[in-house]
Amino acid sequence: MKRYIFPVIAAALALAACDDEKATQPVAVIDIDKPVLAINESMTLHFAGSADNVVVYTGDVDHDYELREQSNYGLVVNKGVMTYSYTTPGIYKVVCVATNHADAGRSLLSDTCSVFVKVIDDVTEIEKISAPQVLYDEVFATQVTDADWMLPLPRKIRYKTSTPAVSLQQKLKFYIPSVTTEITVNGELFNSNTKYNLAAPLDIVTRSNEGSVRNYRLHTLNYGEFKTFKLAGVSGKIDRTEYDYSYYEINMELPAGTDLTALVPEFTLYADNETPYIGDAVQQSGVTAVDFSSPVTYRFVTVSEADPEIKVESVCKVTVTLK
Amino acid sequence: MKKTYIFKSLSVAAVMAAAVAGSAVLTGCNDFLDQEVLGNSTDANYYDTRYKLQSALNATYDILQTDAFNNSDWRFGEALGDNVIGADEGLASHMGQLVHFRFNTSNPLILDRWKINYKGIHRANQVIANAHRVVISSNDYARYREVREILAQAKFLRAFFYFNLVKTFGGVPIRPEIETVDNLVIPRSTREECYAYIEKDLREAVIMLPNRFTGSDSGKAGAGSAAALLMKVLMYQAVPGEFSEKWEQLAEMGGYFVKGNSFTLGQMLDYPARYTDAEGNTEEWESIRKRLWFKPQELNSKSDPYEGPDTECPKLSNAYSLEYRDSYNTAITYDQQFYSHGEFCSASVFEIVFKESGDGTTGDTNEGTGIYSDFQSVESQIWADSDITQKLFESDIRKNFTIGHHETLPDLDNTEIGSGRILSLKWYIPRKDRPVYKGDSDKNRRLIRYPEVVLMYAEALNECGHGAEALEQINSNKAVVNKINNGTTLYVGGGYGYLRNQIWTERERELAFEWDRFFDIVRQGRAKECLKTFAENRSNKRGLYFREGINEVFPIPQTEIDVSNGVVTQNPGY
Repeated sequence: MKRYIFPVIAAALALAACDDEKATQPVAVIDIDKPVLAINESMTLHFAGSADNVVVYTGDVDHDYELREQSNYGLVVNKGVMTYSYTTPGIYKVVCVATNHADAGRSLLSDTCSVFVKVIDDVTEIEKISAPQVLYDEVFATQVTDADWMLPLPRKIRYKTSTPAVSLQQKLKFYIPSVTTEITVNGELFNSNTKYNLAAPLDIVTRSNEGSVRNYRLHTLNYGEFKTFKLAGVSGKIDRTEYDYSYYEINMELPAGTDLTALVPEFTLYADNETPYIGDAVQQSGVTAVDFSSPVTYRFVTVSEADPEIKVESVCKVTVTLK
Repeated sequence: MKKTYIFKSLSVAAVMAAAVAGSAVLTGCNDFLDQEVLGNSTDANYYDTRYKLQSALNATYDILQTDAFNNSDWRFGEALGDNVIGADEGLASHMGQLVHFRFNTSNPLILDRWKINYKGIHRANQVIANAHRVVISSNDYARYREVREILAQAKFLRAFFYFNLVKTFGGVPIRPEIETVDNLVIPRSTREECYAYIEKDLREAVIMLPNRFTGSDSGKAGAGSAAALLMKVLMYQAVPGEFSEKWEQLAEMGGYFVKGNSFTLGQMLDYPARYTDAEGNTEEWESIRKRLWFKPQELNSKSDPYEGPDTECPKLSNAYSLEYRDSYNTAITYDQQFYSHGEFCSASVFEIVFKESGDGTTGDTNEGTGIYSDFQSVESQIWADSDITQKLFESDIRKNFTIGHHETLPDLDNTEIGSGRILSLKWYIPRKDRPVYKGDSDKNRRLIRYPEVVLMYAEALNECGHGAEALEQINSNKAVVNKINNGTTLYVGGGYGYLRNQIWTERERELAFEWDRFFDIVRQGRAKECLKTFAENRSNKRGLYFREGINEVFPIPQTEIDVSNGVVTQNPGY
């Protein structure tokens, strides 16, 4: 009998221990590296408490702790570290639920803690501006200074066999990395279907969700070109290419025996802010004599009337042959 | 009683003697364990012949044939994009979360993509790191060439796997060629460093390979495959609308590949610039030649060619064509390009070669993916619908190579796919090629096709301001398509933006359903726009959650962050 005593005592102790198996109290503590974030900026969350299982409700859509009974769910934190980012601005309550369990889940203890994260959307920077429907083409503006953009437009475009004129009434497209940034054009809320009159510079204001404001100006300039061009009484005709709006050619024939070395072209221009040069010399209609014995390249500079620093260049190559 | 006697009779002396004998035996064990096993291959002596190096290369190609690789490609390349609807788009599954861009960093499909590509890299590294151990049986030029071609294919494959990773994750860790337990954790390299590494592999592969392999070697990556992939890698580094050196290089490569312009080995390697370190030390040309298994100059006989920096790269322009011609140069139809008949056809630059198992063994034993069998099943993994094909093709004849519910297939079979669904004939296996066992197909997957080379060239030309030449290139492909139905529609000249849109349209139509759409729209910088348009027409709004600036790359799998203790950093936004 004596030899059975020890096993019996051991078994009794073991069973008594099972009865007593309870989960230990977990401690939920989290810290977040940045309490204020930009949209889509990563935050790193560290779990600094002690627990077997850690779940974090990030507080945004689908992860709201208050709605956990309505199929919102938390994200599991492995190894005490998690990274996350938010897509929309706002203040989010991040709730951490730390649990320990024992006795096959019959004993469950948990602890929660929370921190607030502020997500701000402060994007006011424009990445690109374009006129998306210049006939069939999307024409992009270039950024000249921090605030000034310049949209170069041709007066006419060659398309198949025709040369339709390009209107200065155009739709606009803004490329901005935030969906909540508000854009106003000349004081009115931007509409992607409105055709804006580009004849005068447009005042553009971007206002971020956070309230920051940035001012831009969009200048539209036409590539300079000859409206008419005459040499020794013969009119030249502009030839365009489909591919490059800033390049034109005039190919003309003059009567045999014409002296090409010192002809004085007569030309008209579309606007006063367009100036033709050969090299760096300004050309004046009916005044400047030019040697046309080899092809001559005119360089047009169109300058914005609102700001002389804003300009666009184009090129016209004139080739004269004799009959 | 006898037992007791025995125990009692054991003296202390006997115990001592046993202990001494035992320790002697144990000491002897140490020597025994140190003995080398004779006759077995070890990693130190395995790669001593080119046949063994070839077997290591075969193991690298094997990754391309795995379900893990191909499933990952259609999931990421096609199912995430805006041209298909998936069978699994519910938010309760990992796949559903992936395609809705509502996954977390532990999504196993993201990890699968990471793992399978690194598995390929690891196998390619075995070839590359051990090629120098091969002992050749004679000093013939051909012996060197054989080893060189194996090494070059491994470089091509390694670049291919890294490219997959970089376009999915951004910069990734570049694994050392020889892995030891001391260097298991490698931090991420930048996207630019990864691309430089990939480019170097591909540039070297181009000069080491013949233009394309034919006959019984068909399917191996040739110089054409490496050059086409190099062009794609250049294109992914360039940004549409921003003129850059990469666009220029792509245009030059296009001129070499498509137009047959001269290109020297030195130009291809960008020698000496790329082979000069920060201190200004340049690797000797001869040293590069030896490393890449060109026959050393001092051993060259008079009849052996010598490859110098001015030697011409292999001509590619005659090896491929836009016309649909099989490997016997017989004309085939557009859809036949994608069937057994059109394997290694004139327009196919690189394919994953599959083999039917013969005994119905499915799985990873090198037969094609399940999607290729979907025509015979009511359920398919991904499909289009009439709205998608209408928007995609409009009146283009290539729309005829998609097919719907219970329609008649080109070989007069009937589709069994679900009502309202449309599949691409690029996935179809004609009755005569059909395997005995479902999912056991030998249909090769076309990975790079020549039309893509031409369209990449066109895009680069337009970006570099050569609109007229770009138009010529897109129309060269469209003209071949027009022959299908005697069509006359061609693309029309116009400004930069107009041409770019036309090139992208032609790309989408020509390369539709080839599992690359998602990466293409990300590269073009319009993933958000395309997916938003798509989501607006779908009741489950798939694609609406795509976050610009974040979801262009996927998160580094959480396990990688965890096991590296944070040395491998996460992408922003995750």
